Amino acid sequence: MIEIKNVTKTYGKKGSTFQALKDVSLTIPDGASVAIVGKSGSGKSTLMHAMSGLDRPEAGEVIIDGVDILKLKKKAVDTFRSEKIGFIFQSFFVQANESCYDNVSLPLEISNSKASQRKVRIEEALATVDLSDKLKQKARNLSGGQKQRLAIARAIVNKPSIIFADEPTGNLDSTTGEKVEDLLFSLNKKEGSTLIIVTHDTDLARKCDVQVYIKDGQIEQTVGLAASTAGKEHK
Amino acid sequence: MKTIDIVRRAARSLRSAKTRTILTSLAIAVGAFTITVSLAVGEGARQYADNLINSNVNPKALFIVKDKTLFEGGAQRAAITEYNPDAAQTAAGATIVSMTQKDVDALSARSDIESVVPTYNPVVRYMTFDGSSKKYSADVSTYNDSILSESAYGSLPPQNQQLGDTDAVVPEAFVDTLIKAGVIKEGADLVGKKVTLTAVQATVTPTTDQISAAFATGGQAAVEDLVKPQTKDFTFTIRAVSQKSSSALTGVTAVQIAPNAARAISEFITAGTNEYQKYLGVTALVKGDTDPQKVKEALNNAGYYTQTAKDLQGLIFTVVNTLQGIVLGFGIIALIASVFGIINTQYISVLERTREIGLMKALGMRGRSVSRLFQFEAAWIGFLGGIIGAAIAVVLGVTLNPWVTSVLGLSEGTKLLIFQPLPIAGMIIVLIFIAMLAGWFPARKAAKLDPIEALRTE
Repeated sequence: MIEIKNVTKTYGKKGSTFQALKDVSLTIPDGASVAIVGKSGSGKSTLMHAMSGLDRPEAGEVIIDGVDILKLKKKAVDTFRSEKIGFIFQSFFVQANESCYDNVSLPLEISNSKASQRKVRIEEALATVDLSDKLKQKARNLSGGQKQRLAIARAIVNKPSIIFADEPTGNLDSTTGEKVEDLLFSLNKKEGSTLIIVTHDTDLARKCDVQVYIKDGQIEQTVGLAASTAGKEHK
Repeated sequence: MKTIDIVRRAARSLRSAKTRTILTSLAIAVGAFTITVSLAVGEGARQYADNLINSNVNPKALFIVKDKTLFEGGAQRAAITEYNPDAAQTAAGATIVSMTQKDVDALSARSDIESVVPTYNPVVRYMTFDGSSKKYSADVSTYNDSILSESAYGSLPPQNQQLGDTDAVVPEAFVDTLIKAGVIKEGADLVGKKVTLTAVQATVTPTTDQISAAFATGGQAAVEDLVKPQTKDFTFTIRAVSQKSSSALTGVTAVQIAPNAARAISEFITAGTNEYQKYLGVTALVKGDTDPQKVKEALNNAGYYTQTAKDLQGLIFTVVNTLQGIVLGFGIIALIASVFGIINTQYISVLERTREIGLMKALGMRGRSVSRLFQFEAAWIGFLGGIIGAAIAVVLGVTLNPWVTSVLGLSEGTKLLIFQPLPIAGMIIVLIFIAMLAGWFPARKAAKLDPIEALRTE
């Protein structure tokens, strides 16, 4: 379970400060698929960064599985990310000059997983995203949709409990985008991992269990699931 | 993240930027090449010098003088020095304190010294060969029995055994000239031939009493005889013709004779002058297993100055080391230049790979691991540069060794470039460390990168 309590994040220094998140609270149950929807500059990315431990809001708590990650040391946050979080980005961020195998291997190397287990897990992850035949191919030879599927394989190879997807279909045409969406949702249902999608695409958001609408650093509206599990609503 | 995984990733990202990697490591290769060559030249020169000394100097030999300046690259001439009857004047006008017969006797009497041979100065005016009236100029030196020379014709005495007092050894270099002059038909003819060395006594100004006495007994002719330089012929039988050797320091163009014969010539030409029985130095052999170094200390305490065979070796090694140091210096300068090359390349690499670094950090890679990734890349560049430089140096050195040997006129099989695996391996390890040190600055920049900033797509 992810609990966010009264999180505030301010950018900039004295004089010209900008509040990206204003006292935000939110609860996301395990295994849910959540869409964080908002325009650019609304604070949706900042919220994702705060939840994933990439950023440190100056006030509030981010409790994941009972641990406030804002109180952890940097090293522990890194370990937390490498073990529990998977990331999918709009621009894929796959290493073009490396093979698919090596791309997927990166999270396993970072989390110090045993070398003997790696091969099986990488092949399994690539099979899940239907890229088994591209194992030795360089990532630069893949199409956009294949690259994003490779990124998904990289995100799931460590069996994380939470997967963050930042505009996962933003750089894809609608057909391939739909395939990627289907893959993400089927993984969410099958593996039971929490899927948090940051997007401004309302069609994609509607496919999620929960939609959290953000505007000017505040939660405007939370739709879906019971209000009790989605946390207290803001006015 | 495990070190092995970081090293592998570092190698992979270098492979994907082959041109840049090779160009950067070539800069290091220049330094590595120079250092490898300097190591090889130094080792080759040292082994050559060692070989030279071992075949020319008896390790038990000491060279003893009374004037320290002889070991210090020549005497400094003071404006005015106190007169010393035992001092000889050098050509430069500096005075040198000579050894006297008394010193020689005192040294011979010591229990730690086996034999003493003064450095005679047997200067002769000319030499003639039996069966020819042609006069040739000649250098004469004392035969050194502590080393085994090779003879071209005839036979040399075994090691540590002197020539007979009427024996002479002439160099092979004489053969061609003498064949042209018709003195001999072939080199072997020289063996058994007689050679006559003609020495001239230094003129001593006669006293008025001597002149009047001579005039009284023999008239004008007797006085002329008195002032006419005395000459004397010393005849020797050529026992052997010594072979030209690249590792021989002495006796290349000199007629070699036994010490006693040299002494006779030396004493004849200096008779009546204050040079009589004065020597620049003496060569002594230490007795049995006595440590030459200990004898040297004892002699130095007794007021002499001594050089051992080791000192001579040290002297030559100092020259070799200085030359090696200069070449090494150029190598190090090249390395310093390449260090900036590495820093520059890695900085650009960090900038180019901002996204990759951001991603790795987002996935939970620690700053320390990111830093090490870039340092290992630098290490790979250093390793590659070291290998390339050393390999080129070795290949070139092995190919050119025979040519260098022939150009310098060294004996067959002498190698002036000697490559040893251990120092080269050591150099490569040092290069890896230098490269890592250079990679530290860009690596730190990579480690401090903020993943959110790095992954911002706009």
